[in-house]
Amino acid sequence: MHSFALQAKELTWSVDQVDIIQQINLQIKTGETVAIVGPNGAGKTSLLKCLFGEYHTYKGDVYLNGKALSTLHKKEIAQHIAVVSQHADSAFNLTVLDIVSMGLIPHKGLFDLNTDEDRTNIQQALIKVDLLNKQHQQFNTLSGGEQQRVLIARAVVQSANILIMDEPTNHLDMYYQHQILQLAKKLDITLVLTIHDLNLAAQYCDRIVMLNHGKIVADDNPEKVLKPELLSKIFKLDCIVDENPFTQRPRVTFAGTNSKSPSERNNTFGEEHHE
Amino acid sequence: MSNTLTAPARKIPFKWSIIAIVSIVLFTLISSVGFGVVELGHQAVWQCVTQSCEKPIYDTILWQIRFPRVLLGFIAGFGLAVAGALMQNVTRNPLADPYLFGIVSGAGLGATLTTFLPPSIQVISLPLAAFLGSLLAVVIILLILLQNNWRRIEHLLLAGVAVSFLLSSLTSFILYTGDAFSSNRVIFWLMGSLARADSTALLWIFPVVIISTGIAIVLGRQLDALLLSDDSARTLGIHVAKIRIITLVLCAAITAVIVSYCGGISFIGLMIPHIVRPFVGITSAKLFITTGLIGGCFLVWVDVIARTALDGQEIPIGVITSAMGSLFFLALLRKM
Repeated sequence: MHSFALQAKELTWSVDQVDIIQQINLQIKTGETVAIVGPNGAGKTSLLKCLFGEYHTYKGDVYLNGKALSTLHKKEIAQHIAVVSQHADSAFNLTVLDIVSMGLIPHKGLFDLNTDEDRTNIQQALIKVDLLNKQHQQFNTLSGGEQQRVLIARAVVQSANILIMDEPTNHLDMYYQHQILQLAKKLDITLVLTIHDLNLAAQYCDRIVMLNHGKIVADDNPEKVLKPELLSKIFKLDCIVDENPFTQRPRVTFAGTNSKSPSERNNTFGEEHHE
Repeated sequence: MSNTLTAPARKIPFKWSIIAIVSIVLFTLISSVGFGVVELGHQAVWQCVTQSCEKPIYDTILWQIRFPRVLLGFIAGFGLAVAGALMQNVTRNPLADPYLFGIVSGAGLGATLTTFLPPSIQVISLPLAAFLGSLLAVVIILLILLQNNWRRIEHLLLAGVAVSFLLSSLTSFILYTGDAFSSNRVIFWLMGSLARADSTALLWIFPVVIISTGIAIVLGRQLDALLLSDDSARTLGIHVAKIRIITLVLCAAITAVIVSYCGGISFIGLMIPHIVRPFVGITSAKLFITTGLIGGCFLVWVDVIARTALDGQEIPIGVITSAMGSLFFLALLRKM
């Protein structure tokens, strides 16, 4: 196994000549848990999509286990990278089992049938996410947290060594936010995720990559990245950083928007306001 | 989309579904040949199948008229239902239908244009012209989509509707300005009929439907990946645009070859997958096989009604499928 699971070199991705992410250099070690954080529009999701090959019209290079992503077949990428995306909903009422079974797709040829081993793997993945009793239930009727768990089970069946999650804790309550991240961590594979909650990032990730305007502005362990000066500058809000008494990890508390008026905040993003 | 339209309600083990369906198919194929202007009765049919016919005329009716027609009905229903299930799965739209691509409108235009041909070759060339018309519709849609870079499924559906109306309007214009006799012939053809059943029709339709369905089943896993979302399918290593093009071509081939011989038989592709889905689920391969078999039986029985409902006169089969399809959807609406 290559020491870097994922690597981006001078990665730039643009839409209509506007650079969404610019000259990103990033190395993600095998087994590491990395959070990509930053304000809305910073380019977090775009960076993720370049890393797992959804966007391929980028400049620069992305390497998966040391091999250039551009030289790999989609199926090969899917054998190594599983993705849990922000929103998955279908007009058809797929069952939990239907979706978890999809994890087999990258490993099967056109004429391959499901084996007993595949069925065992699916059952084990369902046990891992505690959804065995809901395997015949419709995906659309599950709660947000359960849907995320279904997609994690699919990633388990996919037996990828990298899991990419795009804002996995969105729309989830506290309990499920922690549950999902604990579950993902327990898989013991390389984990790259975008997340808005800096405290969750600090608690669960080995490393935080801070993006702003498409560029990496900080990339280190949570203690070094989550500094009040940097956070205030990036998020345009005053904040204090102390220690979470439960986890001894950094804890960020932002002051309200009163600390700077909304128009001040918007103006610093370069937006025009006509009143 | 409503749960009633798509709910996988009480899934029966696939093995039992298949045993039940194959029994229905056998019953349908054997018993439906007894119905028609000359009622043969089950005993006479059974005698013809197992030994030899009681009267020589039965032999002709059964083997040269009824069986080709029943087989054509079965394979046409099979193909249209599979094409419907295929379209619905690949577009993730439970209301998608192979007719959405303007395949029937294209076939109609092709058939209409034959009215300009000399009468001596019109009869032979109608299926061919209809087939070329269907291909025209599909090619137009493919060109539109390729130019549009296949960004969204909605483009596929909207392009289909637009092309369908465009070709229909051309057909209407030609029929309006054309001579009454030719127009009648085309209009009757558009209503659908299995009367054209002969060995040529079967030799064309059987291989196209069976091979296309076979390819669809082999691609089942890839098609399943599309059921959640395009993004999700891509993360599973699926080349989404490629799969959609292949599926579109398969649907077009199945529908075009059926429509060119049988005319417009609507609603089967839309209705049958809805009936089957609650029992066998959504995943592609199982759905295609069962949908096809049920679709085949359905069309055979519809044809029996078409042949026997009015004395001495055949009702166009498309009229019955449309009426039944509409009632079916109204019944579904009541449950929603």
